[in-house]
Amino acid sequence: MTAIGQGRPASGPALRATVFVVLAVIGLFLPRLLGGTSVAYSTLTTIAIFAVMCYGIDIVLSYLGEVSLGHTLFWAIGGYTAANLSVKYGLNGWSTALATIALCVVAAGFLGAVTLRTREFVFSLVTYAAAVVGYEIAFNWDAIGGSDGIVGISALKLPFGVATFSGATQEDLWPVALALLLLTLIFIARFRRSRLGTAALMVQMNPALAASLGIDPRKIRLAVFVLSAPITGLAGWLYAYQRAYVGPDMFETYFLVLMLTSVVLVGRRVLVGPLIGTALLIAQQNLFSLGGDWNKIILGAVLALVLIFWPAGLIGLFRNFRKAKLSPQEKPQE
Amino acid sequence: MMRTIQLAVVALLALGAPAMAQDIKVGTIFPLSGGAGPDGQTVTNAVKLMVDEINAKGGLLGRKLVVVSKDDESTPAVGVSRANEMIAEKADVVIEGWNSPVTLAMQPILARAGVLDITAVSKSDLILSGESNPYAIRINSSNGFDAEVIAKYVVNTLKAKKIAFLTQNDVYGNGFQSAVEAEFKKLNFSGQIVTTEKFAFKDTDFRVQLTNLKTANPDAIIVTNSSNSSGLPAMVEQYRQADIKSTFVGAVGIMLTTVFKVAGDANNGIISADIYFWDLPPFNGIAESNAFAAAFKKAYGADPDKSAALGAAAVQVWASAVQATKSLDRKTVADAIRGKTIKGTVFGDATFLPNGQLQPRYVVFKVVDGKNAKLEALPQN
Repeated sequence: MTAIGQGRPASGPALRATVFVVLAVIGLFLPRLLGGTSVAYSTLTTIAIFAVMCYGIDIVLSYLGEVSLGHTLFWAIGGYTAANLSVKYGLNGWSTALATIALCVVAAGFLGAVTLRTREFVFSLVTYAAAVVGYEIAFNWDAIGGSDGIVGISALKLPFGVATFSGATQEDLWPVALALLLLTLIFIARFRRSRLGTAALMVQMNPALAASLGIDPRKIRLAVFVLSAPITGLAGWLYAYQRAYVGPDMFETYFLVLMLTSVVLVGRRVLVGPLIGTALLIAQQNLFSLGGDWNKIILGAVLALVLIFWPAGLIGLFRNFRKAKLSPQEKPQE
Repeated sequence: MMRTIQLAVVALLALGAPAMAQDIKVGTIFPLSGGAGPDGQTVTNAVKLMVDEINAKGGLLGRKLVVVSKDDESTPAVGVSRANEMIAEKADVVIEGWNSPVTLAMQPILARAGVLDITAVSKSDLILSGESNPYAIRINSSNGFDAEVIAKYVVNTLKAKKIAFLTQNDVYGNGFQSAVEAEFKKLNFSGQIVTTEKFAFKDTDFRVQLTNLKTANPDAIIVTNSSNSSGLPAMVEQYRQADIKSTFVGAVGIMLTTVFKVAGDANNGIISADIYFWDLPPFNGIAESNAFAAAFKKAYGADPDKSAALGAAAVQVWASAVQATKSLDRKTVADAIRGKTIKGTVFGDATFLPNGQLQPRYVVFKVVDGKNAKLEALPQN
């Protein structure tokens, strides 16, 4: 999948499309290759959904250089929108997805406008406060579920003209989760090459240059932030169907820590970074679990170690390692 | 390549199979770490103890039982992963649930896979709604029953005419209050509700509310407060300091060891109710309960509390139904429990409503020596 992202310009669109299709087909049968058990399906579906969740926070962290602690809000908006609209009004998956995107854009537009002039610590704090407010509302407002949440979310229904896709089990939902993940990857890959992506990076890395080119940093910040929200939101949307239950726990730090760790673990601005990070973390929790307290200690320690010693993530570590292995004369000039 | 992997997997399964085919798997999913960890461990320990006893008597359907216990970390997302693992390990029954959201998240996963799911502790009414799991079974009491016993005691036994509420302002507190008020109507309560004071779960200063309650001077104050390690002990202390004469009636299940430990003798005189005390009637007259209490003390060096009894009862109820039906099938076993009476559990004869709720028996009690957590059972009429 790296091929899509690194997007070697020489390879041409046709080759890239072929590679992409091949990878998508392999992805589709990946759970079967891993034994076809329900655990294989549910673990992979969960990894795909959580990875999409992480990509939302990834573009804010990687391209604005800001730590949003409020993305659980968009994650929950997706879950609550899918749950409420499908249970109370019987709407199909397309409608709930559209509503999720709309609500996330509105919420992120508001939050982004409010935080336009804030940076770093203050930005993190304000976004965190927004998530806390969201949690209190979800916890106390019975009309949208209250502290018990919403049960009885029916199977995901996606009508395609004549036929309707209907999925409730992990096996059914895997193709949807994979499709959402692939679409997100394409979207992020395009974003990286887009004018907005490069402008955002310039604003972060070289504000003076950006200013001299007439780029308005506030516009860029708002645009990237608003763009990031529906990505995390759509992950929450699918999560609601996967779990068939939505509650205020969607605001829990479990998800926030997962998002941040997944992104920094492999390294920022690496296309498949959040995906690999999520896969590593979920695999550790599900397959090599050492018990709740130890898992949290390990997760916290890994996060701290990576941030202290290899701020560039595992990719940075790998690069250092390769550099060290090169003989002195081969060593690139620094 | 794929064939090789498949062959390897099949070979591995075949190697593992003969040893496991004989055993019946009892899964437990409770919080084993974090704040609720000790509670979840108590329930899990009780399940293990009961399973050991069944094995000592020759097992079930001629097969040995094994316990597979997992930690939901009080997090619904983690609970879902653990439920999926139980499905993969082909658990024959899963006994779960300390927190309602975790139970609600695991229910549809287990139900879709056709795994029998018994909820031991989680109290939400949604668990038995039948939407996620048409064969739901729950051992702990429901809010409806809890409200009934408190309302009856206040109206019929205390004969209170002026009643006040001191209510935690959330779904739990407000829900309990409206359920009690509904019971008042059923009982043709002729007195009046003089005032309702509310507070937030995290509050520790209740002096304003208590001053208002003192002015209103009701016969009884019905209190909901689920913060049993900080909020409730503080409330009890401040209640005494305010020198309020009204009877403090605590909602079902809030007077836990932590409250006695922190607030000590300030608890004296408080009236409340719960569904299990090994040393109080009717439970000290039930042979199974006495045997369980003795075995639990011997194995773990502590008295069994309500959580332990819930775990033990879950195993007993399930094992009786399996024995009676000679089946491990989810629907068959559930049908033998829902709407039926199972004899010989730590709760005595356990009668289940058609929706899967165990009909609880309550002990209404008065705290006589708070420092030593000594209670006295009160007659109910």
